[in-house]
Amino acid sequence: MFEKKNRASVYTATAMLVFAVVVAVISGKSYLAMRTPGPGVDRVVPHEGFIKKQLSDYFDGIKGTPADTAVYLQEGSEPGGTVLILGGTHANEPAGVIAAVVMLERAVVRRGRLIIIPFANMMARSHTFPQDAHPQTFSFETTGGNKRTFRYGSRTTNPVYEWPNPDIYIHPASGQTMAGMERSNLNRAHPGVADGGITERLAFGFMQLIKAEKVDLAVDLHEASPEYPVVEAMVAHENAMELAAMVAMELEFEGIPIRLEPSPANLHGLNHREWGDNTDVLALLLETSNPSAGRFRGKTDEALILTGADKAYQKAAGLGRLYVTYEGGNEPIAERVARHVTTVKLLADNLEYVREGKGVVIEGLPGFQELSDQGVGAFLSE
Amino acid sequence: MDLKWIYWGINVMAIVLVIRCLYREKSLREQFVAAMVLVPLILRAFFIK
Repeated sequence: MFEKKNRASVYTATAMLVFAVVVAVISGKSYLAMRTPGPGVDRVVPHEGFIKKQLSDYFDGIKGTPADTAVYLQEGSEPGGTVLILGGTHANEPAGVIAAVVMLERAVVRRGRLIIIPFANMMARSHTFPQDAHPQTFSFETTGGNKRTFRYGSRTTNPVYEWPNPDIYIHPASGQTMAGMERSNLNRAHPGVADGGITERLAFGFMQLIKAEKVDLAVDLHEASPEYPVVEAMVAHENAMELAAMVAMELEFEGIPIRLEPSPANLHGLNHREWGDNTDVLALLLETSNPSAGRFRGKTDEALILTGADKAYQKAAGLGRLYVTYEGGNEPIAERVARHVTTVKLLADNLEYVREGKGVVIEGLPGFQELSDQGVGAFLSE
Repeated sequence: MDLKWIYWGINVMAIVLVIRCLYREKSLREQFVAAMVLVPLILRAFFIK
């Protein structure tokens, strides 16, 4: 219709240019809002007994950079082992982040030490993937009626902090080649590089923390698409397989189905692979099922993040195309968080059996049914 | 020199060329397309997105 009238001129060009600038300003404000979230967004209320440090206390190569992140430590009255929990390695996997936050706000350590890093890659929290249409935040209502809001980020570091990525990323420690964008994926950057890119330096910081704190068990909390085979799963480094097998059986006894996957020996850069290979930590990664990050999903909004209910996934489940049961046609975040919390609790409970004298006793964490029934908000502080 | 600033320079050059195209276009639709192409380039030039 425009061509027929052919009314383009220097005036319309100027109008279009102004229009582009206005769109850039409006969308730019929205993007910047994710980098400086409003008051209360991503707020955590650590349980009494936790002390706060920064990852840069272990590796000053990230000091003053957007990669630095809070590290919370709680020590029990009895000596034991040390458990490290990571949430938010991938910021678009909300159950991992929220499970870490619930544990941070509820855990009472009786024996050993618990270290929680709820937002492992802060640089992935400040943006969402283009064309994925994810909402910037999601919220829970607490028992007292307050709103707790968290950012829904991205899988990779914000390109504003790391750009450009190469066409092919060569993992520095192994020489393995990967897609270029994996350079900004924290879970392909381990064991990290002290003078590398910002994501590699962040990974290096975690390795220094594990060594400095003599971590016995490290668990990274993730989510995967329901159509991805490694979902509702524990991925264990071979050193951690015995512990993982014990916990898998206990989960099955409790009616929580779980896959037990060996960490691929030749797939480098993943935390469980590199931490297990380079230290004596027992390293595992947990996956729950997150329809809001899946490729089949339809309308992508806060409700999808919280309920996991999606018509396309219901259809796919009916056709047997998913690796989860998708029972009830949804995948509530409360159940996903409950899975993570229960698995971590069982891993800590069983640590003593594989590392004598290194047991860790954590109390105060909600049980699977309790959390699934009452929802996440019931276990977050006001 | 940091590769980031080389890419930033390429981005700014692309902005200049797209604006040049915008003013040379004889079709309103093509002018609109050029304006839309500018949006992500502007956001990257200012390290917003």
